[in-house]
Amino acid sequence: MKNLTLRGVTKRFGATEAVSQVDLEILAGEMVVFVGPSGCGKSTLLRIIAGLEPVTEGQIEIGGRNVTQAEPVERGLAMVFQSYALYPHMTVAENMGFPLEMQGLAKEEIAARVRATAETLQLQDHLDRKPRALSGGQRQRVAIGRAIVRNPVAFLFDEPLSNLDAELRVQMRLEIARLHRDLKATMIYVTHDQVEAMTLADRIVVLRGGRIEQVGAPLELYDNPANAFVAGFIGSPRMNLIPATAWRDGDRLRIVVPGGEVPFRPAGPMPPDGAAVQLGLRPEHMAVTGGVPLPAICETIERLGAVSYLYARLADGTTVTAQVDHGLAATAIGGQVGLAPDPSKALLFDASGRRIA
Amino acid sequence: MRRSLPLRLLLAVTILFFLLLIGLPFWWVISGSFKLPQEIIAREPTLVPHSFTLQHYAKLLDASAYPTYLLNSLIVGLASSVLTVLLAVPAAYAFFRMEFPFREGMYRAILLAYAFPGVIVLIPIYGLFAQLGLVDNLLALIIVNTTFALPFSIWMMRSFLATIPRDLEEAARMDGAPTPVILRRILVPLILPGIAAVGVFAFISSWTEYLFASVLILSDDKRTVPVGFAGIIGQYQIDWGLLLAGASLAILPVVIIFSLIGRSFVSGLTDGAVK
Repeated sequence: MKNLTLRGVTKRFGATEAVSQVDLEILAGEMVVFVGPSGCGKSTLLRIIAGLEPVTEGQIEIGGRNVTQAEPVERGLAMVFQSYALYPHMTVAENMGFPLEMQGLAKEEIAARVRATAETLQLQDHLDRKPRALSGGQRQRVAIGRAIVRNPVAFLFDEPLSNLDAELRVQMRLEIARLHRDLKATMIYVTHDQVEAMTLADRIVVLRGGRIEQVGAPLELYDNPANAFVAGFIGSPRMNLIPATAWRDGDRLRIVVPGGEVPFRPAGPMPPDGAAVQLGLRPEHMAVTGGVPLPAICETIERLGAVSYLYARLADGTTVTAQVDHGLAATAIGGQVGLAPDPSKALLFDASGRRIA
Repeated sequence: MRRSLPLRLLLAVTILFFLLLIGLPFWWVISGSFKLPQEIIAREPTLVPHSFTLQHYAKLLDASAYPTYLLNSLIVGLASSVLTVLLAVPAAYAFFRMEFPFREGMYRAILLAYAFPGVIVLIPIYGLFAQLGLVDNLLALIIVNTTFALPFSIWMMRSFLATIPRDLEEAARMDGAPTPVILRRILVPLILPGIAAVGVFAFISSWTEYLFASVLILSDDKRTVPVGFAGIIGQYQIDWGLLLAGASLAILPVVIIFSLIGRSFVSGLTDGAVK
């Protein structure tokens, strides 16, 4: 098992920098998820690791060996594509056996390894079928099987669940998690879905504009985001980021938000008086009362079954989300509600989004 | 889509019109090849034959060099289409996937081959083949036919390759397949309709080619159908029965090819056009 190291990896397409100075160490056996909005560079970074895109600057090492200029096959990596990329004219067995054929293995050994892998993925009854005769989930498993037979150093997944329906996506997510546990393999997984990131990752790499915003375990990113972007991206519904001003009050701060104030005890240095800040609070840390301290107009209530969310508008038009009881009456919609933030759970960001407390 | 009765009638009449426009000449040629000479030249032409004879075919096949011409045309046609396909596929892949200087310019420039009528390059080509000692050699016709079929064939194959998702090639690269293997094992099986289209196009172009065949081939036993047959007709004055029989036989290989792979040819044309 080998570590994978990226040092100063940069990729430019003409004048556009798609990936910028990425330094990352992926430990052997780890499941690392690259997550971010569309165009953040996560797929480009994955393709660079795979060897499908050359780097503009920087270095890639696998197990201490410099593979920056190496062909994809020389890196010992296997990739599962978003579109599955199954060869449509080949059977399931031929698809899974193709990489082994390219390695020059004997037919008997190829057949044995394909059969063994097919059995772990419940594909043994479909080996003679072509991809068009399979369901979406089966095709996904064939694509994964084609990667597994190679016994690679690491698996690369490029948004593998994007083409599946919601129910199948949950099922396949569990299968991928099980595979990771069983194979104990290094996996690099790209997704734009932060739920997939939170549920699958040992560590999440949040990317924006080609740069790493934060790297950490899922709950670490959830509870301790480095900036407003990570705070808003991780977690669903997203964290409330309320525009405010900060005023010193002894060793505390008075965070003045539209319609009221929230006391705040910063752990680090105090911002200057009157500094423009953003108050961050997760929906589950925003209670709903009958009146003050933060008056808001209830716009809608989403009842998801296990949990309900109230969406309200503050005096300055900022929309805030609060997790509420099922019992909250629908007549609350359009009426005034009081939002009670939990100051002990609040986070503070400066106007540019940098975390200050 | 429900169509009104008048529209359906109009559609039927239009289809019938084009069917007759295209089909009637073929019927005239084929039915005439089985008529007795006096019926062929009768003052009142007959759409449905009143007589039947195989004498024209017998004369064509037994008493003329037509079978030799047919064989030569088949050799040249098949060799040209195979060579065109063998060259067009890797060339199209290079233009489509590989990066090299002036790629786009060269891709457009190859179509300039069709800007000049064949007669303009006839003399230089004759001189070239004369220096190579290839005059009066079927190989010369194969080379010329392939040369003129290639630009359009490359252009058409590139369009077909563009319909193949890039993911498939990248998956094959990740699986360790080198470029020639990707082309042979992954891409070619998926562009077979395109290959059929290119092959048929090259065959038909070669089959009907007259200009270079008339200049580069001197011996009667190496002539192809268009040139040799013209000689037969000229030699025997205008033997209409012989003419119609020869024309009917000349259509036959093309009809056979289309009956075997015509569906691929049609889908190949449209697949390449629409993504």
